[in-house]
Amino acid sequence: MRPYFEKMPDLGRALKKGEIKRTEDSVQTVKDAEAEVARAVEGVRNAGFPTEKINARGEMTVWQRLEYLVDPGTWCPLHTLFNPLDNEEGTTNVIDGLGKIGGKWAVIIGFDNKVMAGAWLPGQSENILRVTDLAKRLNVPLVWLVNCSGAKLPEQEKFYANRRGAGTPFFRHAELEQAGIPVLAGIYGTNPAGGGYQGVSPTVLFAHKNCNIAVGGAGIVSGMAPKGYFDTEMAEGLIEKARAFKAKPPGSVKVHYDETGFFRYMYETEEGVLDGLKDYMAQMPAYHPEFFRVAKPEAPAYPPEDIYRLLPLEPKKVYEFDQILARLVDGSQHMEFRPDYGPEVYTGLCKVDGYLVGCIGNRQGYLGKGYPEYADYPGIGGKLYRQGLIKMNDFVTLCGRDRIPVIWFQDTSGIDVGDTAEKAELLGLGQSLIYSIQQTDVPMMLVVLRKGTAAAHYVMGGPTANRHNAFTLGTVASEIYVMHGETAAVATYARRLVKEKDAGRPIEPVIEKMNQLARDYHDKSRPQFCARTGMLDEIVPLGELRHYLVAFAGAAYQNPKSICPQHHLILPRIIKG
Amino acid sequence: MAEKILAPLAGKVVAVKINVGDKVEEDDEAMVIEAMKMETEVFVPCNGTVKEVLVKEGASVEEDDVLAVIE
Repeated sequence: MRPYFEKMPDLGRALKKGEIKRTEDSVQTVKDAEAEVARAVEGVRNAGFPTEKINARGEMTVWQRLEYLVDPGTWCPLHTLFNPLDNEEGTTNVIDGLGKIGGKWAVIIGFDNKVMAGAWLPGQSENILRVTDLAKRLNVPLVWLVNCSGAKLPEQEKFYANRRGAGTPFFRHAELEQAGIPVLAGIYGTNPAGGGYQGVSPTVLFAHKNCNIAVGGAGIVSGMAPKGYFDTEMAEGLIEKARAFKAKPPGSVKVHYDETGFFRYMYETEEGVLDGLKDYMAQMPAYHPEFFRVAKPEAPAYPPEDIYRLLPLEPKKVYEFDQILARLVDGSQHMEFRPDYGPEVYTGLCKVDGYLVGCIGNRQGYLGKGYPEYADYPGIGGKLYRQGLIKMNDFVTLCGRDRIPVIWFQDTSGIDVGDTAEKAELLGLGQSLIYSIQQTDVPMMLVVLRKGTAAAHYVMGGPTANRHNAFTLGTVASEIYVMHGETAAVATYARRLVKEKDAGRPIEPVIEKMNQLARDYHDKSRPQFCARTGMLDEIVPLGELRHYLVAFAGAAYQNPKSICPQHHLILPRIIKG
Repeated sequence: MAEKILAPLAGKVVAVKINVGDKVEEDDEAMVIEAMKMETEVFVPCNGTVKEVLVKEGASVEEDDVLAVIE
């Protein structure tokens, strides 16, 4: 199949002088917005004790451990700003992402030992479940840096129990193991109770000499006769007992390395643990990249930095999606699927780091006379019509057949509406696309370039495709909502306006409510809001999007659950005709 | 030699960024047309001088209407 993929048709073109000139301001606006996100990320990095204080104790921080563990240049952080329950610490207290260790892709997660010694916090289990889902979807090892002091007790009701509570990840670890996905854990510090299960639930345990894991901790002063309340006499007694309390935490390496053998390996130094993980990962079974690559990896022909000039922050501005895609894929080459059908959507095969991927994205702007063919009104890109929906159904199904991972790019205002659109079967075709995605078994990722709106956000590989969407990236231009705020205000209050007017009452209070609703929609659809609540798994600078595409493609092809021989691929043959 | 700037789609002109007599270069932004809640920028097709501007902000235009002439 070399003739198909070695040199594919060119995609995109170099920027013209005029384009460069008129986009200077736009570049600065986007970079300013990215700097604001970077400040929020820095806030998460600096949560809790300063690095120096942790280092003075002879410990590395989670960030230093990650830096030492992950192969240089491969780290793709995820969920950095995720904090769905607004913890005062500004974090769910786990740091995670996709990266290579010992040359192999892994999903990596660690407790932030700067914040309450790595305690469980509200929202953390949801973060961890996203991470275990990711390892399962990509079929790559999960590597833990365990350092967990147990629950933040004053807020336990927010996370200890429940269906997706702090105990659920232990079941997920078991589920991964049953699927043949190893969970490796480097273990540091004191890990009582929940921390103990964080330590013991993985597959292979790499212990630091000073660590411990246990069913319960030693930190609870006992021997007080409970009265049902606290008073001064009891507090004085507690002070005395607490001063004398010297118990050693249970479950040290003396027990779990020497006696039970739960710890497979024990290391004298913090770096030793990480070296152990690296050695193990280097031995992990994985296909050699050459097994799946269809061509030599190649940088895009045009610089990814151009995307700063190509993607407008303003949601109403039209741009060329193909030009952005050309800055993300190898050699700026592609094979477009059905270019003469469904012009509002791009579908095509591209290469990322030499691997074949299917790309799907919303095109923008006027779609030309006579389209959509079923209506007497004009079509505009970003909206989905009958042909685009049929084309995506077809393309996704064929990617599933050919075992080609799919990368979605959304900038959509929704699916065409009205009786004409209903007669054109758009409701059914949207659900058909959901069915088409669900019946494939290939990893998918999504980049919400700008708008993710209405059902189109679901059907175009959105995070609602739980079994397929590995992760969803956003940009500083992303905004996600069921509909635009002003549209929502009209839908909510139009009849109320009529009622007030007919009753002779002032309409100004209703207008104020409409404006308030529109403002709320705006505030609650911003990229940082979406990242905090989990609608986005990370906000990525435009110049770094390709870095994530490379990680996704490499991880998806490292150990796929099924394979299609290159010379049996049907999609490139259909495109060629 | 005169070159016309045509409306790429039907809509409302929401911005006119050239004036008669302006020296312009290829790909300079000439106008913005709003249709279906989206703004489409219209660009100057060649280097030259603006000879005529045939629409004002707020005007409704049809596809292929002449918006301006560059000489």
